Amino acid sequence: MKRLRNVFILLAIFALVGAACASDEGDGTTTTTGDGGSSLEGTTVTVFSSEDGPVEAAAIQAALDVFAEANGMTITHTGARDFSDQINAQAVGGNPPDIAMFPQPGKVIDFANQGYILPLDPAVEAVVRPQWPAGTLETYSVGDTAYAVQVKTDLKSIVWYNTEVFANGGYEIPTTLDELFALSDQMIADGQTPWCVGIESGPATGWVFTDWMEDMMLRVEGPEAYDEWLSNDLKFDDPRVIAVAEKILDLWNKPGAVYAAGGSIAATAHSADHGEPLVAGTCAMVRQASFFAAFLPEGTSTGPDGQVGTFYFPAADTSSSPTLTAGNSAAAFRDAPEVWAVMEYLGSAEYAENRQKAQREDQGGDSSGFLTANLNVDLSLWNDLEAGFIAILAAADPARFDGSDFMPAAVGSGAFWTEGTSAVNGDKSVADAFAAIQAAWPEE
Amino acid sequence: MTATADRISSTGRRPLGNRIYKFLRSIPTWALWFIVILWTIPTFSLFVNSLRTRDAQRNSGFWSAFADNANGYHFPTLDNYREVLFPDTGAGLWNALLNSASIAIVATIIPIAIAAFAAYAFAWIDFRGREWLFIGTVALLAVPTQVSLIPLLSAYTNGVAWTLPIVHRTITIFPDLNLSGSIPAVWLTHTGFALPFAIFLLHNYIASLPKDLFESAAIDGANHFTVFWRLVLPLSVPVLAAFAIFQFLWTWNDYLIALTMIGGNRGALPATIVVASIAGEFGAREHLLTAGAFVITVVPLIVFFALQRFFVTGITAGSVKG
Amino acid sequence: MGRLGVTIVGIVAAVGLSALVFIGINKLFDLTEKWYAVFTTVVGALLAAGVFGVLWGNRMIVTPVAVTLIAAVLGGAIGFGMGVMARPMLRLAVGIGGGAALGVLLGVMARSSTWPSIDPVAAVVGLVIGAGVGALVWFLARIGGRRAPVAPKLLSGAAVGWLFGAWLAAGSGGTQAETVIVSVVLGGLIGASIGVRPVSTTLTRAQTASGSRKYIFIGPALLFVVATLVIPLVRTIWLGFQTGAPRELRWTGLTNYSDIFTDPTIIDTSNWTAIFGSRLTWIAAVLILIGLGIGLWLGRSGGTGLGTGFATSAGTLTLLAGGVMLLGFSVFVSIRGTIANNLWWIWAVIIFSVALGLAVAVLADRSRGENIAKAMIFLPMAISFVGASIIWRLMYVARPPRNPQTGVFNAIWVQIGVLSNSDTASVLLSMMFFLAILALLYLAWRAWNAGTYSIVAGSLALMVPFIWLIYRFLGPGLGGFTTSAAGDVVADPVLFIQEAPWNNFWMMVVLIWIQTGFAMVIFSAAIKAVPEELIEAARIDGATESQAFWRVTIPQILPTIGVVVTTLIVTVLKVFDIPKVMTNGNFDTQVLANEMWERAFTQLNFGLGSAVAVVLFVAVLPVMYINIRRMQRERLG
Repeated sequence: MKRLRNVFILLAIFALVGAACASDEGDGTTTTTGDGGSSLEGTTVTVFSSEDGPVEAAAIQAALDVFAEANGMTITHTGARDFSDQINAQAVGGNPPDIAMFPQPGKVIDFANQGYILPLDPAVEAVVRPQWPAGTLETYSVGDTAYAVQVKTDLKSIVWYNTEVFANGGYEIPTTLDELFALSDQMIADGQTPWCVGIESGPATGWVFTDWMEDMMLRVEGPEAYDEWLSNDLKFDDPRVIAVAEKILDLWNKPGAVYAAGGSIAATAHSADHGEPLVAGTCAMVRQASFFAAFLPEGTSTGPDGQVGTFYFPAADTSSSPTLTAGNSAAAFRDAPEVWAVMEYLGSAEYAENRQKAQREDQGGDSSGFLTANLNVDLSLWNDLEAGFIAILAAADPARFDGSDFMPAAVGSGAFWTEGTSAVNGDKSVADAFAAIQAAWPEE
Repeated sequence: MTATADRISSTGRRPLGNRIYKFLRSIPTWALWFIVILWTIPTFSLFVNSLRTRDAQRNSGFWSAFADNANGYHFPTLDNYREVLFPDTGAGLWNALLNSASIAIVATIIPIAIAAFAAYAFAWIDFRGREWLFIGTVALLAVPTQVSLIPLLSAYTNGVAWTLPIVHRTITIFPDLNLSGSIPAVWLTHTGFALPFAIFLLHNYIASLPKDLFESAAIDGANHFTVFWRLVLPLSVPVLAAFAIFQFLWTWNDYLIALTMIGGNRGALPATIVVASIAGEFGAREHLLTAGAFVITVVPLIVFFALQRFFVTGITAGSVKG
Repeated sequence: MGRLGVTIVGIVAAVGLSALVFIGINKLFDLTEKWYAVFTTVVGALLAAGVFGVLWGNRMIVTPVAVTLIAAVLGGAIGFGMGVMARPMLRLAVGIGGGAALGVLLGVMARSSTWPSIDPVAAVVGLVIGAGVGALVWFLARIGGRRAPVAPKLLSGAAVGWLFGAWLAAGSGGTQAETVIVSVVLGGLIGASIGVRPVSTTLTRAQTASGSRKYIFIGPALLFVVATLVIPLVRTIWLGFQTGAPRELRWTGLTNYSDIFTDPTIIDTSNWTAIFGSRLTWIAAVLILIGLGIGLWLGRSGGTGLGTGFATSAGTLTLLAGGVMLLGFSVFVSIRGTIANNLWWIWAVIIFSVALGLAVAVLADRSRGENIAKAMIFLPMAISFVGASIIWRLMYVARPPRNPQTGVFNAIWVQIGVLSNSDTASVLLSMMFFLAILALLYLAWRAWNAGTYSIVAGSLALMVPFIWLIYRFLGPGLGGFTTSAAGDVVADPVLFIQEAPWNNFWMMVVLIWIQTGFAMVIFSAAIKAVPEELIEAARIDGATESQAFWRVTIPQILPTIGVVVTTLIVTVLKVFDIPKVMTNGNFDTQVLANEMWERAFTQLNFGLGSAVAVVLFVAVLPVMYINIRRMQRERLG
């Protein structure tokens, strides 16, 4: 046996060391990029996103299939709930998709800085840039280099209201923030609960408060202060920031102001618990992003003449219309003509329209829940309600991206949520809670 | 405890007192059924809710299911199941269930086989360093397996290469097979992760088989392979079944490994991942989770009850005297 | 249904292939004794094919399929020669000839990018050094008492040396002729080292057959374990000393570890004085004192302790265990942070799972419906952690006060609040509680007379909650309600998931729900394995059922309790999915495994994440050590 083992060992060494003759230079089988580069025939592109819901994922795939079929190529889309962890694992593990759709621009910037994603091909950038509102690509830029194109836009600065309550009470749609606050007081005086507010969202409980906070910062302190706040030049424990938070909590904590009474705002699901009360008129208004349509009871009519209408969350005065948005953006991991072709398509109006068609059809022709800020889309593909949202997006001046998506994860999806929840619960004073958020900001 | 009660009641007291006393003494038996009911409520509520409509689930607890029809909701309804299994758009759960089966079956059988060989060797083949090798292998149970995910993913994607020192040549140790995104990648990962526990469990059992068995086999001239194949495997059926239950439950229910290894290849994702994504980004379809969760639970339940009779014998060998 | 077919074929192929490889290798080594030549032929073919396969994998040869096949045939021929020929010169000739032929094959088919340009000096130096090393190895083995001929070692050393000197150290860009020369000499040397060995005897053949088994049996397991666990573990330990983004790692020494243990989110003892102010602590202290008092008093008067003067009985032990448990809880709600959370998980899950598992095993033992009861308790084991978290989120749902509660817990809690605010209901309930107290008093009296003091203690202890309930219902009220400023009673559901620190416990309940079945199954088997004679003997000595249980059964199953506890510790320390799904570590519920995941994967701080993983690993090790030691003792004993 011993001798046999020796033979084994010897041969193993030979195999390994002999193999070492393979030099690092590679094997000569260089990948050829098709016949000339212009044809996409037979190529495959993989797309990875955070949109894992069956309806959204199917609509994205349908929109991609339109392009793929026209060019004889294959595009596969996969959505994952744990997108942000997964894209990290895949990028670091060396197995990234060709294109990823990031929900957070902060992540795009991180990946750009670490060299995982590629700068936009100049040709693609030239085509996409004019199709979007000014400043859109800047959200995804490091210096002057843009890295991603927007593929989906969510509008956050919306108030949903019960039209019947407004008509019966003779309430006017407010056009300034002061009018909104006055309207709230007026309703309380009339015995009508003005607001439905809930911030419960499982592990993410608290994000609704951060949305309010961002919208109010944008309105009370203005866009410049908002930008400073995102980069932590304006600290969380700054009196100006704390004052904004207190303004929100004062609005919520007035007796009779919020449907979820008794300090149980944190127990109330952010959207699922609001659809029925709003339609029933138990509360008059819900400030929630454009996706809220999916939470209205089945058969609810929307729009100014329906049961539930919407209005723009008003600005401090009528001279500007600051708008809070969110959205997904696509960035490329692989430098290949087919990848850039898909990227260009993703930034186009055609993609948005194809996705909208598929998604709206799936929802039975109702609100689709999909919006885009692309300037060239055919608005007739959306219902009146959502076409109105796109108009608000187009009129945004200035538009600002959801701030917590820009902050470091320890704050933006951590302390800001949890400490915000403590403040809403009354477990902590606003000053204490915001000092704790500031303490969680990672030191550079 | 009944013996004591009998002894006391036989001393002859007033009948009413005795009845109360007996009643109170039977509280422990009640406690058993109380715990059983308590333990069943969560699963039961999941099942009942899966038969209720979206708005019914949102507005009342499962106990009001029978009042649903009076409240304008339809109960029971199979709509949730239909939407989960055969949706109008998208693939539904059927493919994902097949993927789950493919992952779980292979990732159960292969580790069992490999661990059985190793456990046999650790128990009955004498060689130097056996004890330490065994302790080292079992101690790997302490490794938080999440740390292995990125190195493995990168090995599956790019292969493993090692640059020799001094001569600066790079050797490919594991070729670039582009396994990531495929089900075999999940098999390999599960197999590796399962082995320390499998070897531990199987070794306990196989080592406790009577020594005479092996001695008489050796006298008959049987070699280790024959002994393993003819004697040990048939005798180890209980422990193999016990581990099979564990491993099948673990691989069927796994979420993290499959998600990391398969990642973007939608066609190969198992049911756990597909169900987890049913609710959608903001939870608008949360009501479907009940039906989805129930569907993926049914299969492991069947497996468990089918193999249950082996379970106790297999798992308790070496840990229970007698 | 096409998918179904593909799936089945895939499963069968994977399993069948694995079985085939294993059985095949075993059958191959079975051949050594009777069909030695067949064995050597197959081994030769496989080895040659393996070597060329590796070269193929490294993209070193052209037309790899054909070349590998030819190599296999040549290797098989050499092997056959070695198997059947006995004359030394003939063996050597076949070895050298066959090796050289393989060398020619390699030299001709090697990719041009690998052609070496020979440096004769380096080649000869390599050859000599290699031979020297080979001789040295032989000499050392000889000192170690192994007798073997020197020639094979010398030749194989020379082959490796030649390989280094003539090929590896040489620059690339040589001619094909040079390549052929190098590979022919290499092949010849290896062939010679094989051919120089004498033909094997029947004895060595038998040794080969039996000695190979340990490698065959353990090899696959080691291969997998090393690749999937050992190497990543080593890498993790190394990463634990690094910092920075994944592509810009730099050495940082122990900084990650000092960061971990100074981070207040990981361990925060600042509020430790709260332990003494907490009501829990005082309740715990009272329970422990009463338990100790009764136990000692009974032990002295009855003399029934285990020689310690302390009476072990259900009542006293329950009091003690309850007190110790509550004491732990009061510590963990005051000392916060990830590590404290992990310890709390261990504490709560183990105490509850073991106690409930044991209770169910005992109660169900030989009772009616035993199998049904046990199956229902075991059922949660089949549900995934993710699924269980979904289920329990439904149980814990809290809804706005004016809505009906849909979560079972809050529905009950709020309903209790409603009842305790209704005068009639409070009075009626209080009367029922009073009756229960009377019944318990009666039970205690009867038990006292019968001398079963454990029941006295148990029923007296059970009275306390009823007294407390009467107080709450008639006094300040109980349940989920608040009184608003306007004076009306409003429901006040509990936020089970969000309210720290008790949300931790509500998540532990999920794991307790799952693990109790596991504990129960094992305890049940252990209890059934306790010899009936022992219990019978105790009964004859006058022990009551409960005494027999505590003094005979429990000591008998103590080792089993040890197994369950250690298994649970490992499971609980590594708990990940439940916090991940239910809170993702928010609201003060972080645990080590999720902390590691979040640092490494969400924040891409591999250094810190790896350090947390190492802490976790080191924490589990002692438990594993105890477990293995115990197991070894049992094997020997």
